[in-house]
Amino acid sequence: MGKQHVPTLFGTFLLLFFAAFPFLYSAGDYDYVMHVIIIAFYYAILASSWSLLAGYAGQFSFGHMGFMGIGAYTTALLLHYIHFAPEPTNLCSEFNIGGTWMIFDNPVGVTSTSLGQSCFTQALEIWNGSVPVTGVPVWIGIILGTIMGGIAGLLIGLLVLRLRAAYLALFTLGFAEILKATISAEIEFTRGQAGLETPALFENGITLFGHFYSRTDKLPPYFVFFFLLLLCLGVLWWLTRSKFGLFVRALREDQEAAAALGVNTTRYKVLVFMVTTMMAAAAGAVQAHYVGIVTPNALFLLQMSLVVAMAVIGGVENFFAAAVGAILIQFVLEMLRNSFTIGPVTIDMTIWRLVIFGIILMLTLRFTRNGLIAPIIEYFQRGHVAAETVAKRTAATAETGVQG
Amino acid sequence: MINLKVNNLRKHFGGLQVLKGVNFEINGPELIGLIGPNGAGKTTLTNILDGAIKPNSGTVYLNGERIDQYKPYQVALTGLGRTFQVTRSFRRMTVLENLYVPALAVGEEQNRAVVHNKAMEVLEFLTIDHLRNDFAQALSGGQQKLLELGRLLMLDPDVIVLDEPFAGVHPKLMEVIYEYIRRVNNDGKAIVIISHQMDAIFNLAKRLLVLNYGDMIADGPPDEVKNDPAVIEAYLGVDEDEKEEMAGAQ
Repeated sequence: MGKQHVPTLFGTFLLLFFAAFPFLYSAGDYDYVMHVIIIAFYYAILASSWSLLAGYAGQFSFGHMGFMGIGAYTTALLLHYIHFAPEPTNLCSEFNIGGTWMIFDNPVGVTSTSLGQSCFTQALEIWNGSVPVTGVPVWIGIILGTIMGGIAGLLIGLLVLRLRAAYLALFTLGFAEILKATISAEIEFTRGQAGLETPALFENGITLFGHFYSRTDKLPPYFVFFFLLLLCLGVLWWLTRSKFGLFVRALREDQEAAAALGVNTTRYKVLVFMVTTMMAAAAGAVQAHYVGIVTPNALFLLQMSLVVAMAVIGGVENFFAAAVGAILIQFVLEMLRNSFTIGPVTIDMTIWRLVIFGIILMLTLRFTRNGLIAPIIEYFQRGHVAAETVAKRTAATAETGVQG
Repeated sequence: MINLKVNNLRKHFGGLQVLKGVNFEINGPELIGLIGPNGAGKTTLTNILDGAIKPNSGTVYLNGERIDQYKPYQVALTGLGRTFQVTRSFRRMTVLENLYVPALAVGEEQNRAVVHNKAMEVLEFLTIDHLRNDFAQALSGGQQKLLELGRLLMLDPDVIVLDEPFAGVHPKLMEVIYEYIRRVNNDGKAIVIISHQMDAIFNLAKRLLVLNYGDMIADGPPDEVKNDPAVIEAYLGVDEDEKEEMAGAQ
C-alpha cells in the first residue's frame, strides 16, 4: 500500500473513532465532552462547506453565518408560529386543510404586558388541554430551513456575480450584518435578543440500540450531527471529484480563461453558493434544536471569524482538512479554558485563549498558506510527483536539450 | 465548411473609437495572420470575437450562427477558441486538470478514460507529457504557452485565435508551436495568429489582415500586403530618408 493511501486510512480511523466514542467513553464529564464534540461537528460542517466556497471556488464570502442563521431562524419561526389542531381557535388566522386546522400564531414581542397575549396562547387556555395540539415536526423545520438557506444562497450568488475579492467579502459581510440587525430589531416577530425557544431534536426522547434516551441525553444529537457531518463531507467529496469541482477550481484560478474554454461560470458560481449555503443552513437548523434557543448572537462577526480561522488553520483548499481543523481547534479552545497560576500571576485563559488562537492563525497565514493539515495530506498524496517530474524532466532534457 | 463572418464591427471606449467598422470573412481552414501596430484594436477584436466584450454595432456569425451577443462560454461551445496575450493557465491545477476543463465543458457526459487518453496524446504532441501531474504554476513560460494550446485542442473549436503565441518562447519550443499550428490547420481548423513577430507570421500565414487604429487597411496574401504602401506607412513605418525624398519630389 502506497503512502498516498495514508490520508484515507486516517480518515477511516477518525470515522470509526467518532462512531465508537460515545460507547467507549464513560468518565464523569461524559455530557460535557459529548457537548464539545457535538459543537466541534457543527463547526466542522461550517468550516468544510466554507472551504468549498472560498478555497475551491475562490469566493471569499463572509456571510456564511448569515446563511446558518437563516436555517436556524426558519425552523425556529416555523415551529414558533405554526400549529395544528382539529378545531379552529377562532382567534388566530387559520386554514382548514383536510379536516386539520393550520393555525398561525400572532407575534406579540417580549414585553411583560404582551406576554401571554398571543392568540394561540389564549386558545390553549380556553381549550385547557381538551383539544390535541401539534406543531410542525422538527425534521420538517430543519429541511425547510435548509431549503431557505439554499434559496437565499442562490439569490445572493446571483447578486455577487460581478463582485470579486474584497468587494465580495464586504458585500457578504454586509448581508450577514443586515440580517443580524433585522433579527435584532424585529423584536415583535423574532423576539430580538431574547431569542426564540425551539423544541429539542427529540422532544419526547428516542429509543436507540434498545435504550431509551431522554430529550437532554447527548447521544442522539451526537449521532445527528455526526451523520450530518458525514453527509456534508460525502457531498463535498463527490462534488470535488466531479466536473463541478474541476470547474469551480478553474473559476478560482481564472474566471475569464475558464469561460473562454466553455465553462458556464455564472452557473457554477451560483451553484457553489447554493450548495454551501444549504450546508450552513442545515447546520444552523439542527444546532437551533440542539441548543434549544436561537438568538442573533449566533450571527456575530466573531462567529464567522472563528469558522474562517478554523478552515484556514486546517487548510482552506481541502474540505477534509478544514473539517479536521475545526474539530481540533474546538478541542484546543476548550482545553485552553483552564486558567493557571505562575508564581504571583494568574493567567485568565478565558481571555488569553483567544490571543493564543489569534497567534496560531497569524503564524499559519504567514508560513503555511494552505493551513497545517492540508499540506500533510498533500505530502502523502502528491509527495511522489516532484521526484517523478524531475526524473522525467531530466530524461526529456537529455533527449531534446530543451528545458522550456 | 467553416465560416466566420465579421460585419461592420464598431467598438468605442468613451470617446476612443477602437474599431471603426471592421469587415472580414474566413472560409474554410484558412491560416491567417492579424497584424497591426500597438493600439490598432487587435485584442479588442479578439475579445469581441470571444464574447468577452460586446460591440457597439456590427455582427459576427460563426457557421451561420450569430455569436456577437453570446457569452464567452457560449462562443467557445459554438466553435471559437482563443489563447490570451498573457498566458492564463489554471496555476494551482495540474497540467492534466487544465486539459480536462475544456474537454468536460464540451461533452456533458464524456467518459473520463477517453478524456484522459486524449489529454495524454495532446501532451505528448506538445512534448510536456512528463509534466502531466505538476501544477501549472511549476511550468516555464514557454511550457505554459504550450499548455494553453493543448487546452484548445481539447476544446476542439472550428476557429482558433492565437494572441501572441510566440512571445517569450524558447526557439526550440517555437518549433513545437509552428508544428502545432500547421497540424491543427491541416486537421481542418481555421487559425488566426496575432503576433508582432513578422518572420513567424510570414512563415506561417497564407493571408494577412492588417488593422490600423480601428480600420482594416489590408487583406490579402502576405507578399501582396507586404508591398502595400498603406501597410508600409501605417505598420512598418516610412523610412525617414524616403519621407524626405517624397517631400522633395512634391
